[in-house]
Amino acid sequence: MSHGHSNPLQHPEVQMASRSSYLAGFVIASLLMLAATILVSGQVLPPFALLLTIMGCAGLAAIAQIYFLLHIDISEHNIWNTVALVMFIPLFVITIGLTWWMFSQLYLRTMPMIPGMPGMH
Amino acid sequence: MLVNLPGPWSPLLGRLALSEIPYTNPILAPLFVIIVLAGIALVVGITYYGKWGYLWKEWFTTVDHKKLGIMYIILGLIMLFRGFIDGLMMRTQQMLAVGSGHNGMPLMGAIHGYLAPFHFGQIYSAHGLIMILLAATPLLVGIMNIIVPLQIGARDMAYPYLNALGLWITAAAVFLIMISLFVGDFSHNGWFGYAPIFELAYSPGVGVDYWIWTLELVALGTTLGSINFLATVVKMRAPGVTWTRLPVFTWTAVSANIIALTSFPCLQVALALVGADRYLGTHFFTAGFGGNLMLYTNLFWLWGHPEVYFVILPAFGMISEVIPTFSEKPIFGYITMVLASFAIAGVSWIVWLHHFFTMGMGPYVSTEFSVATMLVGIPTGVKVFNWTFTMYRGRLTFSSAMIWSIGALFLLLIGGLTGMMLSIPAINYMVHNSVFVVAHFHMMLLCIVYAVFSAIIFWFPKVFGFKLNEAWGKIMFWLFSAGTFLVFFPMFMLGFMGETRRLDWPFNLQWAPWFDIQEVGIAVYVLSVLAFLWLIYVSIRDRAENRVGADAWGTSRSLEWITDSPVPFYNFAMVPHVNHRDEAAWRREHGFSDKRPEKFAAIHMPNNTPVAIVIGALTFVIGFGLTWRIWWLTVAALVLTVLVMIYRSGKGDPGYIITAEEMEKMDRESRQKMDDGHAPLPKGGGYTGGTVTAYSAEVGDPGSQSTPPGNSRPLS
Ligand code: HEM
Ligand SMILES: [Cu+2]
Repeated sequence: MSHGHSNPLQHPEVQMASRSSYLAGFVIASLLMLAATILVSGQVLPPFALLLTIMGCAGLAAIAQIYFLLHIDISEHNIWNTVALVMFIPLFVITIGLTWWMFSQLYLRTMPMIPGMPGMH
Repeated sequence: MLVNLPGPWSPLLGRLALSEIPYTNPILAPLFVIIVLAGIALVVGITYYGKWGYLWKEWFTTVDHKKLGIMYIILGLIMLFRGFIDGLMMRTQQMLAVGSGHNGMPLMGAIHGYLAPFHFGQIYSAHGLIMILLAATPLLVGIMNIIVPLQIGARDMAYPYLNALGLWITAAAVFLIMISLFVGDFSHNGWFGYAPIFELAYSPGVGVDYWIWTLELVALGTTLGSINFLATVVKMRAPGVTWTRLPVFTWTAVSANIIALTSFPCLQVALALVGADRYLGTHFFTAGFGGNLMLYTNLFWLWGHPEVYFVILPAFGMISEVIPTFSEKPIFGYITMVLASFAIAGVSWIVWLHHFFTMGMGPYVSTEFSVATMLVGIPTGVKVFNWTFTMYRGRLTFSSAMIWSIGALFLLLIGGLTGMMLSIPAINYMVHNSVFVVAHFHMMLLCIVYAVFSAIIFWFPKVFGFKLNEAWGKIMFWLFSAGTFLVFFPMFMLGFMGETRRLDWPFNLQWAPWFDIQEVGIAVYVLSVLAFLWLIYVSIRDRAENRVGADAWGTSRSLEWITDSPVPFYNFAMVPHVNHRDEAAWRREHGFSDKRPEKFAAIHMPNNTPVAIVIGALTFVIGFGLTWRIWWLTVAALVLTVLVMIYRSGKGDPGYIITAEEMEKMDRESRQKMDDGHAPLPKGGGYTGGTVTAYSAEVGDPGSQSTPPGNSRPLS
């Protein structure tokens, strides 16, 4: 049952919630996404640098969301949050890493860069 | 408008217009009339018998995990039937259309067969989506919903209201896909969709939008459900239910829901990006403007493969409960069974690429994914051997539940071996996108269906208090198996002969005999559906003779079998104290089967709430509004949803208390309703000394902390 004996207001995840942290998470993530959009639509940087920059933005946004919105960190008060975090890391590495590897191999074979051709990336 | 919509649009009705209703279609129009008439008859009937109040109070607003589970199962069975009709139509089309020349029915606008390609495309797309996500998934979620809390000795799920929300959001998805039959069209790009054909430029209708929002809704409902299952197993176990005493079915539910929780968001993101392409004019999956078609395929199967294991793992769990019961032996290799479930769940994350070997990412990537895919065979093999060793030298009873489970093993074998073939890139290049693949995954999904029927027969007496008719369960099994054989073995042959998937017109006349055999198989399947309906009818008619006691099969093993049949709404009058993994068998062996709690304590139960069904209805409206681009409706429904959620969070649910005296009275009544002397129960001795606790001492409610095993002692 959802209603434990104890006061729900005393649960750590409720205690950690505060308006300012939600706002901070929302604002930081939005700003980072806005920055990425501006960078991409304005083609401000050379392609590879652009790729790295928006990936950096995405990573920061993810961390901000995990910390400010989901309150997942490595402290001890909520062991299951830590378990979730630990599970997340291999999944992240697998999904993003294998996808990256696969696409790089694919592009190697299907998208030879002919000088002067408008590139895909 | 951010995108250029082909066709008219009005602020009030969006893209909706009278012309979107296919009243000239000779199949849909009569069907529509029939459904409307049936609907009216239903409404009149319910009103006449004055059952609205009952339905509202007992079902629509309930938060009871058993009732929600029953509704999930009913939903799943209805959609299984709808998907079956789709399959029947496809088989008939191929049988009629095969061969060269114009053999079509001009009346239906078809050059070949009786369905136009556009219509055929919608049918196979809807069939796949429905069967995997709206039939198999709700059936499994429903059974998990009923059984998991019972197996761990909980009174309900951790979040009863969230549970109801999951059901009603899934129901909203069902309504959305059903309404696409009569208002507009459905997608014709296959159940998983292809880039870039699902882009607005190539699929200008609303079909793809229906597909997106149906999938988004089920994904949402299932994700919510998976959170609930995990929280329930972690937090709600009765005293004594240590991790090593969890029944295998609960373990598979845990592993499956970990997969669901981690993978469904991928699907939601992939579809949100498709939605951005179609609604906002972005270019994630187009060929030009920096998009990438393969990105979609990659994201989709990143979810898609874990999803197929999300559906097979609970099925494995069901088989693991049925086989020991009817072998009168504990499951062989419990630890390896649990480890195998988690191995399968883990490996399911690193194999998704086997769905598109032919994309051309070269030997290194293909090898990795080929090897990883084959690795799945090891834990699966462990499971199969464990089941056979459980049966080995057991005292087997070939009851109908048991033969459905054994049938599932045969299908698993065929499906697994063909899967191994497919995981070899060299073979995959030959048969990819042929009906060989279709036959492979139908073996796998039918393995699930077999396990589900087995589980329904097995747990039906627990939920309803009487057994299903054994003879008709077996007749249905043989008809269903004959249908499976006749439909899918020709399909393997046709795959080897090079028939590609999704052909509305199989041009090669040599294939004709195989299509005829498949059609016969479909006819046999129809008989099995009739047998199922008859099975239900006969069982309800004769229910008085088939009443059961707590231990319906006399040889049952896990904790759910110690509570009354039908299970009272509070599950256990007193929270049981669990001494053994196979608690029911253990109590039977030690002569505790008839032991009732001596004293009762007040218990705390959650209140019913209409909020869940209201939010479900609103999500349907959101999906419908988005599909037809009726912005005001979408925004209004969205705002209302948020308001209702805020209202509910502000109010919370204090629940209510049932006093100890009331509990005692209800427990007595529940026991009297139950017929106990139905079968001589095997009673063994063997246990000597020590104190044994059957029910937890202090409270009726175990509270939120998991309680240590207390003074119980582990038994070998
Ligand atoms: C022994 C384990 C399995 C192996 C090795 C395996 C292997 C494969 C491979 C290699 C494919 C890709 C075929 C192609 O498109 O060329 C495939 C497709 C498929 N498999 Fe399996 N599979 C296994 C188990 C399962 C299970 C348990 C399920 C579902 C319950 C399943 C459902 C599917 C589905 C739905 C597809 C095709 C999806 C589509 O293209 O529409 N498979 N399988
Ligand atoms: Cu797969």
